[in-house]
Amino acid sequence: MPLLEVAELTRDFGGLRAVAGLSFAVEPGEILGLIGPNGAGKTTVFNLITGFLRPTTGRILLEGVSLVGLRPHAVTRRGVARTFQIVKPFPRLSVRENATLAAFLRHPARPAAEAAAQRVLAEVGLGAKLEGPASDLTLAEQKRLEMARALATRPKLLLLDEPMGGLTPREVEDASALVQRISAAGLTIILVEHVMKAIMRISNRVVVIHHGEKIADGPPDQVVRDPAVIAAYLGARPA
Amino acid sequence: METFVQSVVSGVLTGSLYAMIGVGLTIVFGVMRIINLAHGEMVMLGMYGAFWGHVLWNVDPFVSVLLSVPLMFLGGMLVYRFLLRKIIPGGELNTLLYTAGLSLLIANLALFVWTGDYRTIKLRYALTPLRPFGIAVPIPLAIAFGLAILITAALYLFLSRTDVGRAIRATSQNPEAAALMGVNVDRIATVTFGLGTALAGAAGALLAPSLYLYPTVGEILIAKCFVIVVLGGLGSVMGAIAGGVLLGLVESLGAVYVSVAYKDTIGFVMFLLVLLLRPSGLFGVGKS
Amino acid sequence: MTLAAPIAPVLAVLALLALPLVATNQFYLHLAITVLMWTLLGAAWNLLGGFAGQVSFGHAAFFGIGAYTTMILYLKLGLAPWYGMALGGLVGALAALPIGLICFRLRGPYFSLSTLAVAEIVRLVALNWEELTNGPVGLLITTLPPVGLPGRPLNWESKVPFYYLGAGLVVGAMVATDRLARSRLGAYLLAIREDEDAAESIGIDTVRAKVVTLALSAFFTGLGGGFYGVYFRYVDPDAVFPIALSVEMVFIAVVGGLATVGGPVIGAVFLVTLGELFRERFLVGHLIFYGLFMMLAIRYLPEGIWGGARRALAARR
Repeated sequence: MPLLEVAELTRDFGGLRAVAGLSFAVEPGEILGLIGPNGAGKTTVFNLITGFLRPTTGRILLEGVSLVGLRPHAVTRRGVARTFQIVKPFPRLSVRENATLAAFLRHPARPAAEAAAQRVLAEVGLGAKLEGPASDLTLAEQKRLEMARALATRPKLLLLDEPMGGLTPREVEDASALVQRISAAGLTIILVEHVMKAIMRISNRVVVIHHGEKIADGPPDQVVRDPAVIAAYLGARPA
Repeated sequence: METFVQSVVSGVLTGSLYAMIGVGLTIVFGVMRIINLAHGEMVMLGMYGAFWGHVLWNVDPFVSVLLSVPLMFLGGMLVYRFLLRKIIPGGELNTLLYTAGLSLLIANLALFVWTGDYRTIKLRYALTPLRPFGIAVPIPLAIAFGLAILITAALYLFLSRTDVGRAIRATSQNPEAAALMGVNVDRIATVTFGLGTALAGAAGALLAPSLYLYPTVGEILIAKCFVIVVLGGLGSVMGAIAGGVLLGLVESLGAVYVSVAYKDTIGFVMFLLVLLLRPSGLFGVGKS
Repeated sequence: MTLAAPIAPVLAVLALLALPLVATNQFYLHLAITVLMWTLLGAAWNLLGGFAGQVSFGHAAFFGIGAYTTMILYLKLGLAPWYGMALGGLVGALAALPIGLICFRLRGPYFSLSTLAVAEIVRLVALNWEELTNGPVGLLITTLPPVGLPGRPLNWESKVPFYYLGAGLVVGAMVATDRLARSRLGAYLLAIREDEDAAESIGIDTVRAKVVTLALSAFFTGLGGGFYGVYFRYVDPDAVFPIALSVEMVFIAVVGGLATVGGPVIGAVFLVTLGELFRERFLVGHLIFYGLFMMLAIRYLPEGIWGGARRALAARR
């Protein structure tokens, strides 16, 4: 069965329909790319899945069990972790503490949590920067810290919101490699991204959203040739 | 029926002055996103300015507005320039605490210098109330109402017709875009804070003949002010005016029809309800 | 966090215990008791305000609830105030639950304003619900129950027993603060303070953490209220529910040093002493120092006096 199933998902903000009857599924172990022009509703979808927003209507099922109505911390507990489009570290706390706090979810005792945090930080390549405050890290490092924090909660499903935004081409390559490593370790990933080269290269499958609706769903090379997708990116006019 | 009309009239009159105080607070929030807890003390200073002007030099309080407005405007700009500007980058909560400190400092300095004795201004022409259509209208409140309308109208024209006014509104809606358009955001912030302070001081001078004056009056005024600006929506001038009048009405009608004792409670309950259910208020621009 | 393992706190506690033997002047004892009470209140506020970063301007509600609970239980039901104090704390903690659930829907300054509104509503209710609270007239204790160590009844006319009672409460609050700081909840609170949404996203139940901390904070504040009732023996709504009281708690915690065990002590010793000495001489305006030092602290020393001192000492090493 799919790891995550989203069915007829709809979210209204007053008169604005941000997400309109969206349906897609994510198979265990795959990297699903979620793309679409700006304002298409991608981050809203993430907020809906993780409980920061409630759907107006629709279903969200993780391994067949509904996530709707759960607060974000409960969704994380069920196994869905996320990063944010604009990084949200705990700035004054140390890099190590940032990850330890997340590790507490599965390791209530501090020594075990710190050990787990250290392992995860090493995995993302921050092993040498444990003690300083998170605010001292570069943007690329802060993005990796966010990934480490999410990984420390031992998720089944990882939602990455523009992990490559604002990075140099070299940093994008490193981030892509990291995402692939995480996937190879068995995690299922949904990736929202604008850096086309990266997302097309690493995704197994791509879903395209426009004005809150799904307009394409398939392998990257197929989606990129879909006329509806091309029209959405090149010929988009506000409704 | 007569009681009802009397209540409504009193409520609107008082409410108009609440509104003026609220407008001062809300424009500062709109432009700088700071909640100035010392705003009540600005009103208090305006009140005392009118009082001392009256007692020492026989200046009519309503005339003293002419002097206190520019003085408070200047004072406000100085407070922003030399005190607040360095604090704001530290975050909303730090700024809130800082203005709380400023509020305590000003109120207690006033208490120290002027003592806590209640003062009143007795105006010879204000001894008996007017009675249009049998409704009692105290003269000082009527004059204050009239001047408050004038001042608010002048403010409205200023904000909508002048370049500085438009710059203020632009910065209030989107500081980055305003800066990109060439608005000197720092200068606008300074002017706005001065303006907010001047409005507070003017409101104080207008209110002085109608209230008991004491140095810590700012405390209850700022509490009412929050209710007003949250009701109307933080950042919205129209909202503050509506909120002020609404609060005046609620208190006045509440005192007559619910209970004198709990009339203040109604305002706070409304405040909580708005914060919880409709945080952007009636016309708000601020985020919740 | 401690300077030299357990030595420093032990010495401090010994000094605390010995003080009344040395300072017999009634004014200084009263000053010390006042400092202790404000230390307790500052420490209580610090749990929520310092660790969780939720600035409450409404803690007077819990103080007053604690005070009134103690007084009412003693005067109407004859329950000895020492038990009444503990119950005052508990009732305060219970009140924290609905208050927290309402106010924690809001963030930052909006949260702060909502706590102010709630506290004012509580004050107005106390002012007007005369059957329960005697309204503006207030409640007065004329004699305290005779109690004491076996064979030696304590002299409640002297200030000394109150000093030790206050000292005990303060030590309790400081131990609780230390335990919280070292606990997982304490770590969670610091995360919430930094970024509440990020904290939620890593599995922290932020609402529960905040409400539990508020309840703890309200408990100690209520205890302080009960202590006030027992020591001053008279409470009325203006004495125990005013906005000024909430504000003073905030100032003591911030100027002293947020999220530290020693901060509230330094804050209370500093501000209360200055204020009381000023009040002795000039009668009004003693809060000038509170305002001034808050402004100085936010501008130059946001971690407070104690926080700044710790940082300076750490840099020295």
